Amino acid sequence: MILTPNILARLVAIVVLAVVLQLSFFSRVALFHVSPDVLPALVVCLGLLGGSMTGAVSGFWVGFLLDCLLVQPLGGGSLVLLAVGYGAGLFRERFEIHSPLVPPLLCMAGTLLAELGFGAVQLMLGIDSSVSLLVVRDILVKSAFAFFLGWALYIGLKRVLRPALVEEPRRRRRPPTVLGA
Amino acid sequence: MYRKQVRRRRAVLALLIVGSFALLTLTYGQGSNGVQRGVSTIFSPIQSVADQALKPARDLVNWFDETFDARGRNSQLHSELEATRREAVEGQAAIAENADLRKLLSLDRSGAIPAGYEEVTARVIARSPSLWFADVTIDAGSNDGVEVDDPVVNGDGLVGRVSAVTGGTAQVTLITDQSSAVSAKVVPPGVQGVLRPNVGDPEDLILDFIDSSKLVGQGQTIVTAGWRSSEIASLFPPNLPIGEITKASILDQEAIQQVHVRPFADLRNLDRIQVLTGGWRG
Repeated sequence: MILTPNILARLVAIVVLAVVLQLSFFSRVALFHVSPDVLPALVVCLGLLGGSMTGAVSGFWVGFLLDCLLVQPLGGGSLVLLAVGYGAGLFRERFEIHSPLVPPLLCMAGTLLAELGFGAVQLMLGIDSSVSLLVVRDILVKSAFAFFLGWALYIGLKRVLRPALVEEPRRRRRPPTVLGA
Repeated sequence: MYRKQVRRRRAVLALLIVGSFALLTLTYGQGSNGVQRGVSTIFSPIQSVADQALKPARDLVNWFDETFDARGRNSQLHSELEATRREAVEGQAAIAENADLRKLLSLDRSGAIPAGYEEVTARVIARSPSLWFADVTIDAGSNDGVEVDDPVVNGDGLVGRVSAVTGGTAQVTLITDQSSAVSAKVVPPGVQGVLRPNVGDPEDLILDFIDSSKLVGQGQTIVTAGWRSSEIASLFPPNLPIGEITKASILDQEAIQQVHVRPFADLRNLDRIQVLTGGWRG
């Protein structure tokens, strides 16, 4: 990703908008009794579009802002989301993305890992109460939501960040006409 | 050139990881800090506007969820309604009797909220997305008289307590948060225990440490115990309704009962709540 002041401003706006939307909208709606979590999917998409550094840095700041606004211990969200963003970026640097299904599937996997990561951080900090098995169901449903959210997010972010992306070779829709063949 | 780039990348990653651990170590176990208060102050107007602007969209999505839910619960609610009507009639008689007794005892109290508390009404403007934290942010803060540890209720019963405060907002830790513990009692027997959450299931709380010699059963009501000794006191005033018992079982190898409780308040769909400010504290 080619980082210019304009692109940096767009990235900051995307992160702020996503966190505000998550807290004011996604966290407060429920489908099948589960609220979608758009932030891991966002970090995965940024990692896929911008590479491991963009993924890690944006993951860190998304987690930091989230922890600040929720008045939670700082660092937990950052640690989990930077790992998810870095992993997505690393995937993009190592493999070619040929199928349009890859980004949403990675968003799904990223959300699953992020939710497990949040749980691991809580266990590390000493969770002091029983954990219902419904947590597993909630994590799986959140991951399923992330598939659809990630699909839309990836397409949207690709448009917004297009000037900063390294150009992919465009496919020709029609084979060239060969005269005299 | 490439090696230099890789080294720089690794350095940034290491810095971010070390930074996260440092933040975690420095801020764990504290309430809100200066950074969080500053960020909250900047973002609270944005969140407030976003909350109002997105309400129609939220209501639409929640309507779908509630419609699916309602279809399954319709018949169950019909039978519950009949039982509740009977209980309501009995309850009204009990309230009248209770009012007479209170007058006799010269207790200047009405309803569940004890005297000495000021009610501050607020709206929920944000909610934690994590399964592990059950927090909401409300649009009332220290400017409205809200303080840390103030109890929070809604029309149905106890919701939680204030865990952090900024000028215009406050963080409410719900009773379903993993850090929550409420001293509670079962009425009518009056046996006491500690109410803890069952993380991941907002419709299930667990009342622990109940003496197994006094059996409790399904349908009984749980209220706050509100104990008070010479030096310390519970954060919650007594007799705030919390929920009703859905299942009670005696653990095999221990002489205690484990009681499952469904909270009266719908903690997933909180909108307007009341903070009880003032009152007595430990």
